[in-house]
Amino acid sequence: MIKTDKMAAADLIMGIFLIIFGGLVIMASLNMRIYKTFLDAPGFFPFILGIIFVGLGAIMTSSSLHRKGYAQIKQGIKYFNLTYLSKNIEIRRVMTLIILMVIYIFVFIGRIHFTLATALYLFFTLYYLKSASLFKIIIISIAAAFIISTFFTKFFHIPLP
Amino acid sequence: MLESFLQQADIFFIALSAQFYFTNIIILAGAVLLGIIVGAIPGLTATMALALLINLSYGMEFNLAISFLLGVYVGAIMGGCYSAIMVNIPGTPAAAATAMDGFPLAKRGEGGLAIGTGVIASFFGMLVSISCLIFLTPFVYKIALKFGQWEFFLLAFFGVMICGNLSTGKDPVKGWVVGFLGFFTAMIGLDKVYAFPRFTFGLLQLKGGISLIPALIGVFGISEILIVLEKEIPYKILGKITQVIPSWKVIRSFIPTAIRSGLIGVGIGAVPGAGEDIGAWVAYDTAKRNSKQGEKFGTGCLEGVAAAETANNAVIGGAMIPLLTLAIPGSPPAAMFLAAIWLHGVQPGPMLPIENPGFLFEVAIVLLLATCFMLIWGLILARPMATILKIKREILMPIILPLTVIGAYAGGVRVFDIKVTFFFGILGYILRKLDYPMAPLVLGIILGPLADVSFRQALMQSRGSLIPLLGRPLGIILLAAIAFIAYSGFRRTIEYARKHDHPDSPKSIE
Repeated sequence: MIKTDKMAAADLIMGIFLIIFGGLVIMASLNMRIYKTFLDAPGFFPFILGIIFVGLGAIMTSSSLHRKGYAQIKQGIKYFNLTYLSKNIEIRRVMTLIILMVIYIFVFIGRIHFTLATALYLFFTLYYLKSASLFKIIIISIAAAFIISTFFTKFFHIPLP
Repeated sequence: MLESFLQQADIFFIALSAQFYFTNIIILAGAVLLGIIVGAIPGLTATMALALLINLSYGMEFNLAISFLLGVYVGAIMGGCYSAIMVNIPGTPAAAATAMDGFPLAKRGEGGLAIGTGVIASFFGMLVSISCLIFLTPFVYKIALKFGQWEFFLLAFFGVMICGNLSTGKDPVKGWVVGFLGFFTAMIGLDKVYAFPRFTFGLLQLKGGISLIPALIGVFGISEILIVLEKEIPYKILGKITQVIPSWKVIRSFIPTAIRSGLIGVGIGAVPGAGEDIGAWVAYDTAKRNSKQGEKFGTGCLEGVAAAETANNAVIGGAMIPLLTLAIPGSPPAAMFLAAIWLHGVQPGPMLPIENPGFLFEVAIVLLLATCFMLIWGLILARPMATILKIKREILMPIILPLTVIGAYAGGVRVFDIKVTFFFGILGYILRKLDYPMAPLVLGIILGPLADVSFRQALMQSRGSLIPLLGRPLGIILLAAIAFIAYSGFRRTIEYARKHDHPDSPKSIE
């Protein structure tokens, strides 16, 4: 196995992404309407930004290639397997937390009452994290959701989603 | 001269009398206490504290909102030292340098003394920075009044470049990438000159642009929740807190270090986006090199704690100088403060002394009062803090998400803003995992509109020519500074790539 700087592969991917992204920004900015001259057109500054992204992307790509980023990607592809990803505790933990956040923000908020949505989110998250005993988790979830809702609406007159 | 002095004195006393109301004092004392507790809990940074608590200031009167937010800011920066000293996990990144000597002291049973030194040093740092804020800001105002479109564009560009350069250890290109991504984020929505929709993809909600506060809450709130909760890091409190207040002899021996560290903190704070953590590290390193007991740094030296804590609090006053004069925040928490005062209709910048002459003194007085409360609370809380630090992060962090949701929603009363917060939270998490700093992103979002409009207007005024820039000394200085930062940054990137060129070189091995 070739040992390389651990960020080299990520930087190579980011470098290529920036070149493509910069190119797309340039194209989009050139298609924006020109009112008087291009210098004061809405697309002028994004056009400059697009060029900067392509430039920085090229530097990043070149730097990561020097640091054996390509070899690291090849190695990563060779040894990649989904079982490893699913067994990695850190990745599993973050993915579960993100899924719980997605359910809370995109499914619950706006559809059910904020206090209930918050209590449900807290219960499942605290339960997953094994933060306390089941009884304590139920109490904390309900109490926190109720206190947050009351505090913001009654004392600070802040609207809740 | 005398007339001008009397006029300033009059403005000062009006600002002073405005702060001495019972409600103001109570809010300020409570805010400092809240800031200290939030700052002390590992994982809750000062920026996050301001991001979460900004929504509480929506319904407050302007004076109260200022007191509340500055109180939280001052308290949170100091609060970070408790966990840095007692559990070796800095409560805020600003306290990372404090842990170097604070934790070894706690292990030796001198944790109380380290906390006392940290609190007194923070107090001293605040006094230095408030003095600099009062005396330097009027001069910067005078310079800022000479700024035209070219200078504002170059200043915005300079801000992102220097912030990107300072906030990344080895590869400045990463800092610049996120800074310019911030610029790009600011381009989304209706163009400020012709109201032409840019990068909205036909979505009605995007026409209003990406709101600053939801983006900031996402970057500093949600990404922080994920970073803290991704790993289980158990920690325990070492040693008992006995003596807290150091002897006068000890305090006196730190005065030269504290003055130097305070000035370093103010200087770093005045650099756009640089922040408290950089100030603390630079001051710590300088103190180590200049101290007679430099070799003891890192093994439990009170002077190290004093240097780091003086500087990180001194950054606050320094960060207020570009914020008030040019509307450019000197640190990420200052960016949150800027967003909050924008919400209340105050527009910092060169015209501020004319539009709101008492505002500088108001900020200085609030900071001074907050500093006094910080000293009192800081010393009182040294012993009970051990109990507060026992709160499990696995319980606390999930409760923060509903607060971020309310913070994002309350400003514009749009569910779309909550989705923006979530998107920026995930983006922030990914970028942080890939070693990208967050400060340039925030600065880019704030400075993007200024850079866009002033660059286009400058070019229109000069009919596309860059020659008028040559007749503007301030513009030339800024241009030279940008060129220097770009040159030194690219050199660092090339050196970094070369060092890792050979797979067998020690630095390239994982």
